[in-house]
Amino acid sequence: MNKNIGVYVCECGPNIPERIDIDKVVNEISSMDEVKTVKKYSLMCSNDGKKFLKQEIEKEELTHVVVAACSPKDHENTFMKVCEEAGMNPYLFQIVNIREQCAWMIPDKEEATSKAIQYIQAGIHRVLFHEPLEKKELEINVDALVIGGGISGIEASLSLAGPKRKVHLVEKTDSLGGMAGKLSQILPHQGSKIKSVKEKIEQAKNNENINISTSSEVKEIRGFLGNFEAVIKSTPENGEEKEQEIKTGAVILATGFDLFDLKENPAYGYEKNENIVSALEFEDMINSEKIVLKNGKKPKSVALIHCAGRKEKGYCSKVCCLYNLKFAHYLKDNFPDIDVKELYMDLCLPHKQDQSYFDQAKEKGVEFIRMDEVVKTKSSGDQVEIEYKDNDKTDKLKADMVVVAPAMVPSKDTSHLAELLNLPLDKSGFFKELHEMLDPVATPMEGVYITGCALGPKNIPESMTQSHATSGKILSSLIPGRKIVPEVKVSKIKEELCTGCQTCLSVCFYGAISYDPFKGVSVVNEAICRGCGNCVGSCPSGAIHSKHFTYTQLYQEVLDALR
Amino acid sequence: MNNNQKETKINPEKGKALSSSKGIREEILNIFKKALADDIFDAVMIPAKVPNTDAYSWILLQDESLFEMADPLPPVMAVQGGRALSSFSKNGELDLKIAALMRPCEIRAAVELFKLHQINLNHITLISIDCPGATPLTDYMNDPKKLAETYKKISEKWEVSESLRPACQNCHRFSLIDGTAADLHIGLLGKNDKVTLIPISSKGNEILEKLGYEPTDSLEEWKSNREKLLKEKIKNREKFIKEWQEKINKTDGFFNELNKCINCHNCMNACPICYCQQCYFDSQNITFKPETYLQKSKEKGALRFPLNTMLFHIGRMSHMVLSCVSCGACEDACPVSIPVGRLFSMVGDQTQKEFDYIPGMNREEPLPLQDFKEEEFCEVETPNECEEKVTEEAK
Repeated sequence: MNKNIGVYVCECGPNIPERIDIDKVVNEISSMDEVKTVKKYSLMCSNDGKKFLKQEIEKEELTHVVVAACSPKDHENTFMKVCEEAGMNPYLFQIVNIREQCAWMIPDKEEATSKAIQYIQAGIHRVLFHEPLEKKELEINVDALVIGGGISGIEASLSLAGPKRKVHLVEKTDSLGGMAGKLSQILPHQGSKIKSVKEKIEQAKNNENINISTSSEVKEIRGFLGNFEAVIKSTPENGEEKEQEIKTGAVILATGFDLFDLKENPAYGYEKNENIVSALEFEDMINSEKIVLKNGKKPKSVALIHCAGRKEKGYCSKVCCLYNLKFAHYLKDNFPDIDVKELYMDLCLPHKQDQSYFDQAKEKGVEFIRMDEVVKTKSSGDQVEIEYKDNDKTDKLKADMVVVAPAMVPSKDTSHLAELLNLPLDKSGFFKELHEMLDPVATPMEGVYITGCALGPKNIPESMTQSHATSGKILSSLIPGRKIVPEVKVSKIKEELCTGCQTCLSVCFYGAISYDPFKGVSVVNEAICRGCGNCVGSCPSGAIHSKHFTYTQLYQEVLDALR
Repeated sequence: MNNNQKETKINPEKGKALSSSKGIREEILNIFKKALADDIFDAVMIPAKVPNTDAYSWILLQDESLFEMADPLPPVMAVQGGRALSSFSKNGELDLKIAALMRPCEIRAAVELFKLHQINLNHITLISIDCPGATPLTDYMNDPKKLAETYKKISEKWEVSESLRPACQNCHRFSLIDGTAADLHIGLLGKNDKVTLIPISSKGNEILEKLGYEPTDSLEEWKSNREKLLKEKIKNREKFIKEWQEKINKTDGFFNELNKCINCHNCMNACPICYCQQCYFDSQNITFKPETYLQKSKEKGALRFPLNTMLFHIGRMSHMVLSCVSCGACEDACPVSIPVGRLFSMVGDQTQKEFDYIPGMNREEPLPLQDFKEEEFCEVETPNECEEKVTEEAK
């Protein structure tokens, strides 16, 4: 095939000609045998510029194009699109950065010009070795698999399910609702009971596009965005064990949380005295409207202890201050003469109505005591005596009933699922999001998202937001009828050179490489591969190459650039 | 391939001592004969002298009568045991229970290859043995009878003689009981003529049980003899490292040692760790066009070629030195007597220290380049914080 290379030097407005002698560049490049035509242009990325490039490609019958201009991050895609529209393979294009890498950093015009010429020569010699890569289109499944039937999972399912998109909701216990389903009331509306959660559960059950499997777990899962396969194992109490294999397009993990085991810190005396209960047990009492001590009498004083497990786990669980206030209000409203004290390490009151909720509790006579830690609890007659420390000063208080608020910890299934899907966990054992600030519900595995407390302690509105976020991501990426185009510049393993040491597998962040035991070689899944190149660097025999960054391409470029 | 081998390590306090009236060789071979007869193993991998020659080779044997030619500790290390083992245990599961008797450096090489998925250890029992070293391959081939005699003398006395290979003179890992490399260890440093079987893993324990050898004998004497020899060898090794560091630190010191290289790649071929189907340095990536030669010659005025001689060594070093077990197979194989084994051993020693890694010692320890530690090389990554940390720890 005849190689007709067209080189275009963009002036980028005044940016480049101020520091680089464009005419000299054009002159030097035109003397190269490999180049069919070289021209300069004022602003290549403008509409006129793009039109000009398209016409040039057609007129000169160009097979390869090099544009010397700004950074590839700015306009590589722009010019590649133009090449495609002009009927040329867009991957036979190379952009050379003579703005940031030459004009903008070399004050001496002669030096900047000669460097620009070198770089363009490097780009030309590189582009000669480009392969005409082809984009692939994959059929996709637009359904979603939601793992976890708590409030987060239910909300995600409700916002996703539709006639063209089914949702499989898998819950390991025999009923939906999770931890939120066990609560007595939801903040901030003191009045409303657990009704709203129950309503959500009913909506999910009545939605014909949501397929619910309770007493079920995901046993296996493999694949990538638009093409997952999962095996769900159901073990109902009164029924047969069965396994079903499903195909799905995306996965949402909504596995929630467990509570810190209060027995781990003997200072709380949990299980030593029956009038020391956990917050969840107290919720039960409110639900059954029976706040009584073990001797059947009503308590005259209640102590609410915050922050249990905070020091051990190293993080604040966010929701306990609010629900303790909920408890305090409930007690004061239903037992007018009851004495309520709250022992806290720090107060967490970040939302709009929290401050006034706290002020109202104080007005009702709730006493707030700051402490560093609970030293020990012991029985004192019929009461519980709590000894606590604040700044080296120890103090004691007595109460009929003690409610301890335990920290939220990752649910037991988190680590198992993380292994199944090759997902990272943070140092507390919660799932790790792709980017803490900028991508808080995604994971390195495209198509796998996380919502709710599986990512860390949070309240119900935050969980709702995250569930909507995961749905949003799925709704916009898995569109019924559309195909997805995976990354083109991926890695490829030469089978005959691979010796199956799996070093590449161990450094792939995206889980895109798998081992084929039959052939004894590793294989790249081109649909998952993001082209990061980690594997290429890790292979000692050079059996892996990147399709758009081959050794030859890079060598040719560097050879010229360093001359 | 199932590499989920979780053999539990035992701290060997006792072993089984067998008195060898017929001599150590006979005693060791009897153990294997018994194991084969009792169906504990289906086959044994052991070195053997090829009949009617002076050559040594590995054999995989199921027939008891062929034990005649076997020799657990030959005067030379012909093919590195790790390399030999990987030739038949790479893909798939074997359904033969195999025992492999190898020198400690060969065992460690096998464990490194296991971590690189080149050896499947599921049906293999690794048996290590106290190793007195071996003589240089070329010396032996030039006068086999003399060297065999020399070797007999020095090995019986565990002498760190200059007749041994340099790698062996400088080796301090001649007796493998720390770590989870071998399943069973054959101790020879005990009372005269005593062979002590020491279980290292639960698999090793099982095998002793099946053989009817309860590990109830004291290891005190063996341990104390071993300590003495270890002290001497460690001193030797430290001297060797220091000597070679000085040699290399001289200007062009490294390249001077490699000056004689004829680019035959024997060292790479003999090395057990070099496992690539095709070495990177034999691949398309490292071919130079004629124009390149002529251009470089023009630019530099003169050109020494073939072009990638030095690059090969540095490259091979960067690829495998973290797994280098200092076995010296490379130096034995070099036709121009380059001290390549010593070079790589010294560099290996230093780089492995940086990663706190001893190749082949522990099966569960991941290879440094396949493992990510959040805090590593802090003196390079976060030098300011590192200083604080170091002073904190010092306090």
